[in-house]
Amino acid sequence: MEENNSKLSLTLVTPTAHLVFEQVDEVRIPGSEGDFDVLFEHTPFLTTIRPGVLSYRVGKQTHYFAVSAGFAEVIPTRVIVLARTAESASSVSERRAKDALERARNRLEKAAKGDSDIDAKRAETALLRATARLRAIALSSKR
Amino acid sequence: MPTLREVRRRILSVKNTQKLTRAMKMVASSKLRRAERLLVQARPYSEKMKEVVASLAFRTGVKDNPLLRPGESGKVELVVLTGDKGLCGAFNSNVLRFAVSSIKGQVDNEVELFLVGKKGRDFFRRRPEYSICDEYVNFWRTFGLGDATHVSEKITSAFIKRSYRAVYLVYNEFKSALVQHVVLEQLLPITPMQLSEAQPGPEAEAADSADPKEPEPVRTDYLYEPSAAALLDDLLLQHIEFQVYRAFLESQASEQGARMTAMDAATDNADEMIRILTLQYHRARQASITKELIEIVSGAEALAG
Repeated sequence: MEENNSKLSLTLVTPTAHLVFEQVDEVRIPGSEGDFDVLFEHTPFLTTIRPGVLSYRVGKQTHYFAVSAGFAEVIPTRVIVLARTAESASSVSERRAKDALERARNRLEKAAKGDSDIDAKRAETALLRATARLRAIALSSKR
Repeated sequence: MPTLREVRRRILSVKNTQKLTRAMKMVASSKLRRAERLLVQARPYSEKMKEVVASLAFRTGVKDNPLLRPGESGKVELVVLTGDKGLCGAFNSNVLRFAVSSIKGQVDNEVELFLVGKKGRDFFRRRPEYSICDEYVNFWRTFGLGDATHVSEKITSAFIKRSYRAVYLVYNEFKSALVQHVVLEQLLPITPMQLSEAQPGPEAEAADSADPKEPEPVRTDYLYEPSAAALLDDLLLQHIEFQVYRAFLESQASEQGARMTAMDAATDNADEMIRILTLQYHRARQASITKELIEIVSGAEALAG
């Protein structure tokens, strides 16, 4: 690890899995107040995150994860991301994400028409999550 | 003396029961394996979560968060985690007995119950002297993080709305497949003590990531987004949610462990019963043969005489 002393150690954990523990060059995190990039020696920073795409770069390789709510702690040499759920782009099924997006849209529309059975807030988070998954796929296949 | 046919029928019935218990044991053991894996996977998250929450709570020194303060109503809430199903030895009754005795122990507080799992709900419903404020049942088969989120949302909102003095969790802690331990844990208000006991786990993978951290957090000034207070609010909610999730996992693993042990014992008992019945069967068969022989012999003797 000494030879990589300009690298960040990134930890990405969710309640059900320990997904990433790696030395990386750069991390992009979807913070609740906007996306931000973290490089080595970033100022200490603590933020909540919103559903979106988290990506990190090791050399020329970039990896994408769709994450949902959680938070991130940044200190100069280390980034810890605690997300409620996270899926790597390669493990997301595009069809399922699209289905989920469709469902969430329908539910939101119904909620907008005044169907009180539907939890609009929940539908909205589902929509954000599905969008994030699709974006992660799109980003990682574009590369 | 039971007749031959009766004994044979009983042996068959015991054998059928044994097939059931054996199958249940195997199902339980595979579910146990799954539950154990989830528990292990939840551990790193749990440690990091405690680290972050503790450091934030200390650094910001936010005291007026409602989740850090006991309410003033003189009531406490007891969240009791049981299974939806029986046939798991003393698993459910252990929790319930413990819950009842701790309710009795709360002499100067009124206790309201939040019952998670069908067994606990059925138990307390039959006893109208206890006041039930909420329940959540029939979910263990498909249990996931979402269930814990749902329950923890109910708990935190009730804690604030009805200003409980405290919220406790009662559940089976998973020690091993054979040993479960009923524990009582204070969930709310969150005490600084609870946060500070963020010890690293036994297999501290965190060794190299924790080292550079030790001297730092005291001095470093963090940037917070959104504000520190809002952030703490959010973190505490997630902390509670995760604590509930972890308790659920413990309880689930314990339940499957208890069921596995119980069904294993049942299968052994069935073996023993089959052995005894078979012996009885042979005796009865022998007796009837002897009787027939005597009849033939005495018949022949009568003819000869």
